[in-house]
Amino acid sequence: MTSLSKAEKSYIQSSLLSDPPLRLDGRSLEDYRPIALETGVVPLANGSAKVCIGRPGRGGYVQEAGGVGGGTEVVAGVKLEVAGVGDGEGGGKVACTVSCSPAAYPSLSSNALDDLQSDLTILLESVLSHPSLRPNNLVIVPGKKAWAVKLDAVVFADGGNVVDCLMLACRAALWDTKVPLTKWVEYRAPRRHAAQGDVGMDVDVDEEAGGGFETKGESRATDFELTDYWDEGEVLSGRESWPVCVTLNVLSNIHFLDAKLQEEASVPLRMYVMYAFPRGKPILQTFRLIGPEVSTIDQLRGLIKRAESYARNTWTGLEAKLKDEEARRGVKAREKFYGRLG
Amino acid sequence: MLSFVSFPQPTDYDYHSTTRHHPDVGDLMDVDDLDTTAPKLTYPGETVTSAHDSMRGHGTYVDKEQVIASVAGSVERVNKLVTVRAVRTRYNPEVGDLVVGRITEVQPRRWKVDANGRQDAILMLSSVNLPGGVQACRFPLSYRRKLESDELQMRTFFEEGDLLVAEVQAFFSDGAMSLHTRSLKYGKLRNGQLVIVPSALIRRLKSHFISLPCGVDLILGLNGYIWVNKHVQDSDHGEEGFDAEAVYSNQNDDIDVATRSAIARVSNIIRLLADHFVPLTDTRLLEAYDWVVEQEVDTKDLIHGDVGDALVAMVGNNS
Repeated sequence: MTSLSKAEKSYIQSSLLSDPPLRLDGRSLEDYRPIALETGVVPLANGSAKVCIGRPGRGGYVQEAGGVGGGTEVVAGVKLEVAGVGDGEGGGKVACTVSCSPAAYPSLSSNALDDLQSDLTILLESVLSHPSLRPNNLVIVPGKKAWAVKLDAVVFADGGNVVDCLMLACRAALWDTKVPLTKWVEYRAPRRHAAQGDVGMDVDVDEEAGGGFETKGESRATDFELTDYWDEGEVLSGRESWPVCVTLNVLSNIHFLDAKLQEEASVPLRMYVMYAFPRGKPILQTFRLIGPEVSTIDQLRGLIKRAESYARNTWTGLEAKLKDEEARRGVKAREKFYGRLG
Repeated sequence: MLSFVSFPQPTDYDYHSTTRHHPDVGDLMDVDDLDTTAPKLTYPGETVTSAHDSMRGHGTYVDKEQVIASVAGSVERVNKLVTVRAVRTRYNPEVGDLVVGRITEVQPRRWKVDANGRQDAILMLSSVNLPGGVQACRFPLSYRRKLESDELQMRTFFEEGDLLVAEVQAFFSDGAMSLHTRSLKYGKLRNGQLVIVPSALIRRLKSHFISLPCGVDLILGLNGYIWVNKHVQDSDHGEEGFDAEAVYSNQNDDIDVATRSAIARVSNIIRLLADHFVPLTDTRLLEAYDWVVEQEVDTKDLIHGDVGDALVAMVGNNS
């Protein structure tokens, strides 16, 4: 994507292969650039997050001219929409869309940008929309209505390692998502007043919020209403099983993480490995090889093993950060609330 | 465990909770007098002066008889003309400037070069040194006529993606700059890496070719592209002319690990200073490098925060 002269490319490669290996900015092979993360950045979304890899300290200036050398910035937002459920469907789909700002890729034509967007969308969709990851508290009216999760991610700047950044942002946004609480509404034929010739319909509200106590109610519940609740809702169930991604850049017998654009342009093989660790148990969600280079099964086996430990690092870090963010926003919301009262 | 940081909060934390007014309604906005000599900074939408006694220039617009800045930058005034020079902008070329650029396209008898300007720069085949004909000529440079065969093998000189250092020679009628590499100092770049900074940070210096004592050479392009490479012996070819093989080569020399890490360190120092918007000069870079070596700062720590502030404070104090 980035154009690189032959001399630059060979300089990067020979530095990486020298002993000790050296990278453009002095990082070791397994170092990440600083990563900044914030949740709740989009006020109208049900859940959102902004992630920036590389130079987050300098305000909004992540972009250098031409996109080279700057950081990667992704904003992801989740919007829940009410959708009908067809026959035999579980309900609660997750749909992903990735859009790339043309400012992030000034050298790409609009067609090339569309291709890139659809590539990233397909990659994300194949992971996050998988039925095995579908949260089970999205159903509003069983068999009739469910929340459809629309996950939109925007790449504002690309300084390399965009897939890791995308997955971090999407995972944080999904983690942050609150499902509004709903009650079923059912229309019941009037029983008591039937004798008096009352032909009107009575509206009754089911007290259980999506609860499963009234099993025979399933067929009668036709509509729903939002409950008035102090919080925005409850979190997505199974939110600890959304995966994180680790991109391994492979150059002959070494591999490194978090490549910059120039480094990405000078390695022949890239591996996207996505792991989830619900309750500490590693689950490999996706594995992809990108690039013209060939590799042996043994090599891949070793790399996947390494990727698991890198992913676990990322996972624990992200988990801790997301808990911090929740606490921070809780404090902020409380301050705002008391501020209004006082 | 991978550590995550938070985005920096604005220093003015009450920013969003206080009421602000648009300049149109804020009659409290006082029209600043521009007679003070101190440079004045604006933000977009700020009223600079009244339209009655001044003319609007670049970076401003007139609304309701007021001259309003459209960019963030410094206000400049020449007689009645008020302009705002943007802090972040594309490179504005001037004839004689030294620039570093990257070939984007090979066209008939010319190369298109990305030099961070508003348009691609153009390097004509007639304004590069061509190999051969040196012996026939008494001049150190090969001022030989270009041939048809040269046009057919332009990619042997420069191809897409190649980096080069050149001088701005002239402008075309549409404002695009024309470059030339007709000097032994100019030509294709190798043995190093490129660092990009805002072009406003590169001042005009006596020489833009800087040799640091750590075995690293720098080429500070006025367009904000900086080439950091291994030190090369100058006057290698001397007066005998130039060696076309070496000038248009894509092969790097052998570079030892010490030099490579010095290149990485210098690059990170440049990025750091640029992050803090410190103008780059040779003395400043040298001081910063010495400080980093003296304090035994690890190269990768330069991109991780705290060291940066200390370095910038040191550089700021000394100059």
